[in-house]
Amino acid sequence: MARIELRMPELGNEITEAQIDALLKGTGDKVSEGEEIVTITTPKVTMDLEAPATGTVLEVLVEEDEIVAVGTVLAVIET
Amino acid sequence: MPKSIHIDPVATRSSTELESRRIPVHSYARPMAEELRVRGADTLIMALRHMMVIRAFESGVASLKSTGSYRDLTYAYKGPAHLSIGQEAAAVGAAMALTPEDHIFGSHRSHGEFLAKGLSAIERLGDNTLTAIMEAHGDGALLRAVETHLPDESARGLAENFLLMGLLAEMFTREIGFNGGLGGSMHAFFTPFGAYPNNAIVGASAGIATGAALWMKTEGRDSIAVSMVGDGATGCGPVWEALNFAGMAQFERLWDNPGFLPVLYFFTNNFYAMGGQTSGETMSWDRLARIGAGLREDACHAETVDGTNPLAVADAVQRKRQLLLDGKGPAILDVECYRYSGHSTTDVNAYRTKDEIAEWTAVDPITTYRDSLVAEGILDAATADGIQSEVGAGMHAVYMAAANPEISPPAGLGSDGASIGRKVFAGSETPPIGRAPEPLSEPAKVARIRQNARKSRGGKDANGELLSPLKAITLRDGLFEAILHAALTDPRVIIYGEECREWGGAFGVYRGLSDLFPHDRVFNAPISEAAIVATAIGAAIEGGRPLVELMYADFIGRAGDELFNQLAKWQAMSNGLLKVPVVVRCSVGSKYGAQHSQDWSGLAAHVPGLKIIYPATPRDAKGLMASALASDDPVIVFESQRLYDQVELFHGEVPEGNFKISIGAPDIKRVGSDVTVLTIGPALYPALDAADSLARRGITLEIIDARSLVPFDYGPVLDSVTKTGRLLLVSEACERGSFAMTLASNVTRFAFDALKAPPRVLGGPNWIVPGADLEHGYFPQPFDIEDVILTDLMGDTGHVRKGSRAWDDLALARSGL
Ligand SMILES: Cc1ncc(C[n+]2csc(CCOP(=O)(O)OP(=O)(O)O)c2C)c(N)n1
Ligand SMILES: [Mg+2]
Repeated sequence: MARIELRMPELGNEITEAQIDALLKGTGDKVSEGEEIVTITTPKVTMDLEAPATGTVLEVLVEEDEIVAVGTVLAVIET
Repeated sequence: MPKSIHIDPVATRSSTELESRRIPVHSYARPMAEELRVRGADTLIMALRHMMVIRAFESGVASLKSTGSYRDLTYAYKGPAHLSIGQEAAAVGAAMALTPEDHIFGSHRSHGEFLAKGLSAIERLGDNTLTAIMEAHGDGALLRAVETHLPDESARGLAENFLLMGLLAEMFTREIGFNGGLGGSMHAFFTPFGAYPNNAIVGASAGIATGAALWMKTEGRDSIAVSMVGDGATGCGPVWEALNFAGMAQFERLWDNPGFLPVLYFFTNNFYAMGGQTSGETMSWDRLARIGAGLREDACHAETVDGTNPLAVADAVQRKRQLLLDGKGPAILDVECYRYSGHSTTDVNAYRTKDEIAEWTAVDPITTYRDSLVAEGILDAATADGIQSEVGAGMHAVYMAAANPEISPPAGLGSDGASIGRKVFAGSETPPIGRAPEPLSEPAKVARIRQNARKSRGGKDANGELLSPLKAITLRDGLFEAILHAALTDPRVIIYGEECREWGGAFGVYRGLSDLFPHDRVFNAPISEAAIVATAIGAAIEGGRPLVELMYADFIGRAGDELFNQLAKWQAMSNGLLKVPVVVRCSVGSKYGAQHSQDWSGLAAHVPGLKIIYPATPRDAKGLMASALASDDPVIVFESQRLYDQVELFHGEVPEGNFKISIGAPDIKRVGSDVTVLTIGPALYPALDAADSLARRGITLEIIDARSLVPFDYGPVLDSVTKTGRLLLVSEACERGSFAMTLASNVTRFAFDALKAPPRVLGGPNWIVPGADLEHGYFPQPFDIEDVILTDLMGDTGHVRKGSRAWDDLALARSGL
């Protein structure tokens, strides 16, 4: 069992923050690697972030509409 | 990038061979008896008569050009004479197969095609319709002249005289010409007969006809568009762009109403482009029709047909037309024929032999066709001669009337000499009619729209702190809101360009639109800037309101003809009969170096006929874009990439509802008393920084944001300069020949007495924009603005420059900089 974090990724050197558009999975949900967990949006793009591993969502650390900086932990998955 | 179409590596990488449909060459072999049975004698004889009319018309022009007279008329015709003597069968054959609702777009050599289409429409339209059409044209002066001086008992006869007189008077620069003399020989058209603009730019009609077909498809019309250009036009890039555009896979695979664009590329192949022989010398193809195989498996249904036989041409056009109506287009016809006349009157035939001309003259389309009708007993020789002399007599009367200034008064320049200028812009807005478009989903459910709804409409919070672009409406959002409003309320608006759908526009302005609109409203175009603009023009002429994107202003060159010769010109060249309501968006980049960072707004402003806006705040972007989309005139929108995330710092909030800011009104962004600073586009922001810095020294700047380049109201600037006595103009364009220079020179002229110092222009230097790390040495910085104000405008001799611009401008100019 390992705890794997999903972080707000780097999206090019001009983008420092993004907004959480939708949470597609919640605490306790089973996810497989590559499955979409959260939709984020920047001024230019809307994109889905995928589960980094297969397992169960242990924690979701952000809320919809929240603005988060690059590198912020968004969710934790237990494998 | 539709996720729905999967690119499978296994299938893609497996070995195969590509084949395409075989291309028929001169396959027409229908006996005349069969043509007689199918078409009837009247139609067959009419085709002969129409060819004779065209020959007579052009022989008159040829005679005037070469001898200064035609029969008993002496007249100095000064305009062009690209005659199609020898090519009449191609024009008449095509027109036989087309309805008035089918639209042809011709070339510099299209008198014949224009007349053939008009004559065929006259045969097909009822008397009442013909009368109504003639009465509705202009102020009725052409019809009155024809009724009085070229009367005919039948509506058709009158309409024929109307057609001939309208064209000839147009060529003679007369008021009653179809376009008041503003179009002339190479730009003739008369839309009620389906004869759409001819074009003096080789190949330009291909893209415009493709756009017309796009709008025909959008409206679900039962008609086709025909591009009628020469064999030489196959050497033009924009023609290839158009061919590709018409057959884009998405029309079949992604659009709700599948089917390719109903456009026929009819190449009048006379084997020469001026003196260049196409097959054999200047082109790669051996036979023109082969180009179809370069594009599609169906080879664009290409065929080579005998353009010296009107029935072979009519047969081919009829078959292609049906394919196009069935959505199986585009189609190519290579219509071989021979021009006996020179390219123009200066042609001495240095490039072809007498023998060649003689051999082709031996198969003259008119005599050959006449003989075949006589041989089949459809017509006797005496009747044929009778038609010939009736046509000749009629033509003589038309020439005498068109040249007579009493009957056909010469067009003038107006009492102030500016009457042509008043034709350049419509200056009007035509509201949409018909049902508002149905979005695919509830707009409020679209992520982008939900996000915008949560954002602050102003750019600062309650404490005056600047808000992040995620929390406040940005310039990108302002544009989006105006565009969304138009897309939701105006069924004429279609949006396309590179990356307009899922990508959301290259810089995210359209993000969310592809959730709301199907492909026929918002679609991705190929990397074909010429076709993007040309098709927009064609669609606009047909009634659409395309909003197209060029991604970077630096790519304007790729659509140079389309923007500067087509979009800018048709309103005036048509004497106001055509409107071309196209909005072209282009971003002005930075950080990507010399080919991606140029402010070419001044280049566009130089060419008369385009309205130009360059908003710098979210509110201005929204209001000006709304005006652009409502306008009946073409508008080019420049958008600085550096400002897409800019929030509103002026005028409080960006209004939520749709609102318009009138194009041409500059805006005072900060009030001051010592120096007026007029900025274009993003130069507003360094000017504000300079103003803050100078305010600490007790110098106040009045900052005016130009917002628009064309039109431009100098009033607020002159008022300001009257108060301050000093003017600095700041823009990111290089200084030489820039719009800022134009502004400076006009302000000097109109506010000379108020000036305490000559106006100064601060722009980019006259060399390349360097890469990101060196841009500060190119684009005017706040300290550059301070330097110029203190030294040049305020005469502060003790000022130590903070910037690097201590250039000797005169020395630079001597070396070309
Ligand atoms: C873009 C452009 N390049 C060059 C010209 C000058 N020009 C006018 S007609 C012509 C030849 C065109 O040949 P083709 O397309 O075969 O038509 P044709 O004259 O034979 O009817 C040329 C080069 C032009 N009008 N436009
Ligand atoms: Mg030619």
